[in-house]
Amino acid sequence: MQFTREITRLLAAFIVSLFIVAGAAAYWAVVGPDTILGRDDNPRRVVAEARIRRGAIYDRNGEVLVETVVENDGAVRRNYLYPATASALGYYSLRYGVGGAEAAYDSILRGDTVTRDFGETLVNSLLHRPQEGSDIRVSLDLELQTVIAEAMKGQTGAVVMLDVPSGQILALASVPTFDPNTLDADWETLRSAESQPFFNRALQGSYQPGGTLQTPLMAAALLYNRPLNVPLQPATRPVQIDDLELGCAVRLPEIALSLRESYAFACPFPFAVLGEALGPATLAATLETFGLTRQPTLPGFTAPATAPTPTPEALVIGRDDVIAAAVGQHDLTVSPLQMAMLAAGIVNDGNAPLPYMLLETRAPGASVWEPVQAIRPTSPIATMNTARQLQDLMRYAVANGAAQNAGRPNIDIGGHASLAYAGEGPLSWFIGFTTISARRGVAIAVVLENSADPGLAADIGGTALAVAHGQLQAASANSGA
Amino acid sequence: MPAEALTLENAQDTRFRLTPDALILAIAGIFLLTNTAALALVRGGISPRDIAIVVVWATCALIGRRLLVTRLRQPDVLLFSLAMFLSGWGLVLINRLAAPFAERQTLWLVIAVAGLLLVALTPRTLRLLRSFRYTLLVAGLALLASTIIFGENPSGLPAAPELWLRFGDIYLQPSEPLKIVLVVFLASYLAEQYPALRAEGIDTHLRRIAMSPRVFGPILLMWSLSIVFLVWQRDLGAAILFFAVFTILLYVASGSALIVLSGAALIVFAGLVGYFAFDVVRLRVDVWLHPWPEAGGRAYQIVQSLMAFAAGGPFGQGIGQGLPTFIPVVHSDFAFAAIAEEWGLLGVITLIACIAVLVTRGLKLALFQRGRPFNALLAVGLSAILATQSLLIMGGVLKLVPLTGVTLPFLSYGGSSLVTNFVLVGLLIRISVSEAA
Repeated sequence: MQFTREITRLLAAFIVSLFIVAGAAAYWAVVGPDTILGRDDNPRRVVAEARIRRGAIYDRNGEVLVETVVENDGAVRRNYLYPATASALGYYSLRYGVGGAEAAYDSILRGDTVTRDFGETLVNSLLHRPQEGSDIRVSLDLELQTVIAEAMKGQTGAVVMLDVPSGQILALASVPTFDPNTLDADWETLRSAESQPFFNRALQGSYQPGGTLQTPLMAAALLYNRPLNVPLQPATRPVQIDDLELGCAVRLPEIALSLRESYAFACPFPFAVLGEALGPATLAATLETFGLTRQPTLPGFTAPATAPTPTPEALVIGRDDVIAAAVGQHDLTVSPLQMAMLAAGIVNDGNAPLPYMLLETRAPGASVWEPVQAIRPTSPIATMNTARQLQDLMRYAVANGAAQNAGRPNIDIGGHASLAYAGEGPLSWFIGFTTISARRGVAIAVVLENSADPGLAADIGGTALAVAHGQLQAASANSGA
Repeated sequence: MPAEALTLENAQDTRFRLTPDALILAIAGIFLLTNTAALALVRGGISPRDIAIVVVWATCALIGRRLLVTRLRQPDVLLFSLAMFLSGWGLVLINRLAAPFAERQTLWLVIAVAGLLLVALTPRTLRLLRSFRYTLLVAGLALLASTIIFGENPSGLPAAPELWLRFGDIYLQPSEPLKIVLVVFLASYLAEQYPALRAEGIDTHLRRIAMSPRVFGPILLMWSLSIVFLVWQRDLGAAILFFAVFTILLYVASGSALIVLSGAALIVFAGLVGYFAFDVVRLRVDVWLHPWPEAGGRAYQIVQSLMAFAAGGPFGQGIGQGLPTFIPVVHSDFAFAAIAEEWGLLGVITLIACIAVLVTRGLKLALFQRGRPFNALLAVGLSAILATQSLLIMGGVLKLVPLTGVTLPFLSYGGSSLVTNFVLVGLLIRISVSEAA
């Protein structure tokens, strides 16, 4: 037979080549899923992502805040029902990712945490069913969110409200914010906006504490038995830090004030003197005890706040800086969440609860909510005695001091309104609380940027606290009956 | 002397017995039916088009097989079954990827089967081809020349290669039938020349054969023809395919491994020159060597293609349920990747096995053409077209070799390609039953 050798070789070459092709196909089929399919430019990921039915988000009372709507054409849309919750819940965008609670609980909402048995997984994958996520119930209260959003209208700043003793975040607002429903269209405008709507001031804001440090300083004064009621002269004199002139929260003539009164009116001078007397080491230790050197991490939310104090570095105050540090105009910056924790610690008789937001989850198709189990340690910031004295000092400040605007008739409200100065302008702080019984109440922190009106901050706080107080009373009446 | 029986049994009384070729045809029918049904489920409804495809395919398959089995003595019907299986798969694929094109492709299938039957059933096919080889060659080259002058691209894009001739609504790609014409011509040329080629000796007169114009004449002719394809048509696939098939034929005829080496050297040389001279070559080579940095740009197609293989995994996503349409022009150049995504590695291996069987059967035919060098070389050339073209496009889609825009035989969208491949199979079937010429 002619050509036998050549044809046999040719056939062998073809068969070997076909095997190589099959081998390459097998390589990509086996290795590919772990490598190239994970690439960001794999359009399949976007398509799969777009089909995911994210779980809904409910408020503490079971009110739907965010839901996933499946349109007639099968497209999936995320619907945010209340603008007031935007800064707390964040956003979900196919193009721009997730933020806020949507980011913190992303894996739950996407359904990555749902345990599915083998058969279910197989059927879902065979039929290409879209992944369904779990619903979550968060500790936010829609009513409080709405009241706060209304009160903060036109302001720049943040509000955090914590339940005592649980530490649940009842309200979280950063103003100005964004509309997550139209995020894709607004993204570029929002991102370049000077007011930084994506910056969560309540969690990430690092503000000059200013006069709001007077609360921990009062705790130190109590500890060292400084007299509260002896008039001091000159109490209302401004304190000069570099070219900054710091005064009381309200304008006062040069008169003598006791330490209690100085605290109530947030006058810096006596606290500068107190700080000098305590010395830098004691001052630093006090601020550390009150948790002001540690940024609380709200697990999963935006990275633990800002860069300035990422490591739990010990606060170092130089001898020359002790006055600046005592009046809150030194290196230390704080977030509204930190200040709300401090207030909550005072209400909770000296034990600051750990803030959290996620209460329960519900797997897709399930009817029962699963509570989220977690160990939530409190951190001691003061003795019960000191904490109760601080509560009374704050009640005094609302009754007679600069925080008067927070007062509401027949409601137990304590608070402290003060000023701070940041590079760009003044800040107004208010921290406060309302209680219905011992260790049962709500704590709040309010900060307003570019505002020299602590009374306004106190008023916003008082409005929110009054609503919270009403809710607490209704709840305790219900549970009592 | 009849050709040795290639089917397992005498084909004439197989009406009630399941021979391998009938089994494959039956499997192909079931495959087409279930996939069409699955596609209708995914789409949420069956369309007249779906039914038409199945009915037309089944009619072609039944009539074609019946005619082959009854009119021919011991034909290699398995070749027909495999061609029908692959083209049925191709119809499903086109219906799924680019449904509006499926009707036209179904019509082309009818023409293709008719073409196959025509060449397989005409007793004098091979003799006629041989007698009119120069006429055929001249006609083929004239077609090629007219494409160079009047060529168009159905897409109408200004930069697209103009490889098509337009007749009203129909576009024809002359390079497709030209493949067969050239193989016929070369097979007949070499069938006459091979004793001389071999007589000059390989071992003793190495130098002489290297210098012989008998060898180098046709080589250079084919090489220049390939260059014409490359330069005037920017048809890299056809250029490489022609040259590779020709080198293979010359190697089989002469028995000289030197041919293969010099052919490979010429391809590399042309590739190097082409890399610097032609954008299309440089693009393909660049993208082949470094696809990842340009995954969003020039290498988008190949990266998406590899992702289709990964997404398909071992068993595939299922018809209509993957996302192969992210690959640009998936229904023609990247049909293989679409199969990988929706039918998985299982589908890929099935496809490769079918091609392997087709090629093996074709080459086996060549082995049995005792005393008929034209038939043998023709079978080798036709099988080589099938194998080389499949390897070029499958290797290209898998990033084993640079992409050359050739079709995947039987599966890719395209009428000229489908008809050509069926005629090719028809010729192989004709060879399987041919008497000594």
